[in-house]
Amino acid sequence: MAQQKIDIDVTESGGYQVLRPEGDLDVYTVGSLRDAIGSVIESDKPRIVVDLDSVPFMDSSGLGALMGGVRRLREAGGDLAIACTREQHLKLFTITGFGEGVSIAPTVEEAAKGFRAS
Amino acid sequence: MRVSLRLKIVGGFGSLLVLMALLGWVTLSLFSSVRIVQEEVFDDAIPGLVAVDEIVRSYTAQSAAVRGALIGNPPILLAQYRSEVDTARFWQERSEELFTSGEERELLAQLIEAGTSFQTLVDERVIPLVSQSGQRSQAFRIIGQDGTALISEIERIGALLRDSQREVMIQSEADVRNNTNRTIIILVIVLVAALALAVFLTVFLPGRLVGNLGKLVEAARAIGRGDFDQKIEVHSRDEVGELGTRMGEMQQGLKRLQQLALHDRELEIAASIQRNLLQRELPEVPAARLVPLQRQANLVGGDWYDVDVYAGTMTIAVGDASGKGIAAALMATVALSALRGERARGGSTKRVVGAANQALLDVTDPESFTTLIYVSLELSSGQARWMNMGHHVPFVLCAPRGTDPRRGYYLEGPRNRVLGWFDDPGLAENIVDLSPGDRLVLFTDGFLEAKSPEGEVFGEHRLAEAFIKLGSLDPEAFGDELVAHVERFAAGKLDDDLTMLVVEYRGTDLASGEADERSGDD
Repeated sequence: MAQQKIDIDVTESGGYQVLRPEGDLDVYTVGSLRDAIGSVIESDKPRIVVDLDSVPFMDSSGLGALMGGVRRLREAGGDLAIACTREQHLKLFTITGFGEGVSIAPTVEEAAKGFRAS
Repeated sequence: MRVSLRLKIVGGFGSLLVLMALLGWVTLSLFSSVRIVQEEVFDDAIPGLVAVDEIVRSYTAQSAAVRGALIGNPPILLAQYRSEVDTARFWQERSEELFTSGEERELLAQLIEAGTSFQTLVDERVIPLVSQSGQRSQAFRIIGQDGTALISEIERIGALLRDSQREVMIQSEADVRNNTNRTIIILVIVLVAALALAVFLTVFLPGRLVGNLGKLVEAARAIGRGDFDQKIEVHSRDEVGELGTRMGEMQQGLKRLQQLALHDRELEIAASIQRNLLQRELPEVPAARLVPLQRQANLVGGDWYDVDVYAGTMTIAVGDASGKGIAAALMATVALSALRGERARGGSTKRVVGAANQALLDVTDPESFTTLIYVSLELSSGQARWMNMGHHVPFVLCAPRGTDPRRGYYLEGPRNRVLGWFDDPGLAENIVDLSPGDRLVLFTDGFLEAKSPEGEVFGEHRLAEAFIKLGSLDPEAFGDELVAHVERFAAGKLDDDLTMLVVEYRGTDLASGEADERSGDD
C-alpha cells in the first residue's frame, strides 16, 4: 500500500503537545500520525491531545493508530486525549467502545483536563 | 559541472584547428623573417660593400692613371682617368641610394668630399702641368704628397664603410639564428600540444566513450537476465554519464517492480488461502436463506463471515479486522480460527466470542482490533440472540405486508467493545424475534464509509434508504443492486472492502415459504 503523508501541526501547550492532523486519517496516511506520536513518546512529558477538527474522514486504521497511541503513551507514563466535535468520528468512538476510558472533549483544553494522572 | 559530449568533440577538434593555424602562422613568420634578412644582406649590405670597393678602387685607379700620364702617353691615360672619374660618380650616386643610416651617410659624405678634393687637386693643380715638360716633377710632388694623403683618407673611410656593412651582415645572421631558434621552440610546443590533443581525440575520448558504453551494455544485459544488482559505474559528466545515472534509476525501479511482482504472487497465495477459509459453501436449510456478498478492494482483506448450523440453531458471524491487506487478513484468520474452534467444542455465544477476543489479544499489536456481530438464530422460532462487538448495528428489513412498501430499522441494543484490544470487552447479548419473510442484513463499514468524489460519506441514513428502496428485490438482486448503488455514489472509486450477509428467515411451515416467493416477485 502506497504511503502518503499528511501535514500534522505540532504545538506545545502547557505540559502537553497538541497534534493537529490536516486531512483524511486512513490506511494510507496513518503512518504520519504514528510517527508524530512516536516522537512525543520519547520526550519527558509524553502527553498528547490529538485535535481531529481538521480530519474530515477517519477509518479503522486511523482509529487504530489513535488507540495504539493511547496504549503506548500510558505505558510510557503519559496519556493521549482527543479533541473532536465531528459527529462521524464521535460515533466511531461510541460504536467501537474506544470512547470509554479515553478523554474526548470538544476543545483541546477540556480534553487535556481528562488526562489520567501518571 | 556537466560538459556535453558535443562540447568535448567540438572543443577538441576546434583546439586542434587553432593549433594547426598557429603552426601555419609560426612557419610563415619564419619565412618572412628569413626574407627580411635576405633583403637586408643581398639587397643592401652586399651591394653596399661592392659600391664602397668600387669607389675606393676607382680613386686608386684615378691616382695611378694620373701618375702614368705624368710619365708618358698622356692622352690614353687621361681618358682612363676621366673614365674612372665617371665610375666613381656612378658608384657614389648608387651608394647614396644604398646607405640609409645616419652614420653611413656621414661616412659616405666624407668619402665623397675626400674624392672631390682629390679630383679638384688633379684637375686644377696636376693636369695643367702634364703638358708642360718642365713642370712634371712639380706635378709628381703634388700628387705624391697631397694626392696620396687624400687617397689614404679615401681608403680609411672606405674601410670604415666596409666594416659597417659587415656588421649589418653579422647582425642579420644573428637575427636569422635567433628567429630560427625561437621558431623551433614554438614549433616543438605546438607540435607536442597538437599530438597530445590528437591522442585525446583519437585514443582517450573514444576509449572512454566505448568503455562507458560497454559498461552500460553489460548492465543492460544483466537487467535482461533479471540481475538488478549489477553496479553501473559510469564516471563521466557528459550525456553518457547522465545515461548511466538514469539507467541506474531504471534498474532500481525494475528491481522494485520485481519485488512488487513477488509480493503480488505472495498476495495471490494469501488470497487463495483466505478464499478457502472464508468462502466455503454456506449451509442450506429450508428455514433460512443466506445470500453472501463480498467485494474486496484488494486481493486480501480484513472482512469475513462464517455460518454454521448445529442442532436447529444457525450461528452467523460477520467480522471486520481494522486496517487493510495482509495484516488485516491475518487477524481475520486468527479470529475465525478461534471462533470455529470454540464453537466446535459446543461453547456458548459468550465463550465463543470471548475465545476470539483472547486469541486476538495474544497476537495483535495495540493498533489492531476486530469488530464482530455474532448471531445465534433458532430456526424453529425465529428468535435471534445477537452480540455486537464494536460493530455497526445490523438492519432488519421487515416482511412485506400487502402492497405497502417494506419497512425496516437499525437493530439498536446494548453494545460491547471491539475484540483484540480490551481484556474485558463486555459480552452483553440482545434478542430479536424474526418473523417469516424478515431479512436480517449484516454488513461491514465499507458501505457506510464509501466516499463521493466531494468527500461525503455514504452514511447510515443513505444506507437505510437504499435497504428499503431495494427491499422488494430477491436477496441476490438486492445485494448486487445495493453494491451498484454505493459504487455510483463513490463514482466507481471504492477503496474499502464491502461485505454483506443477507439472512432471510422463512420459518419452518410451508406458508412462510410462499410468503417468501411473493416477496421475491414484488
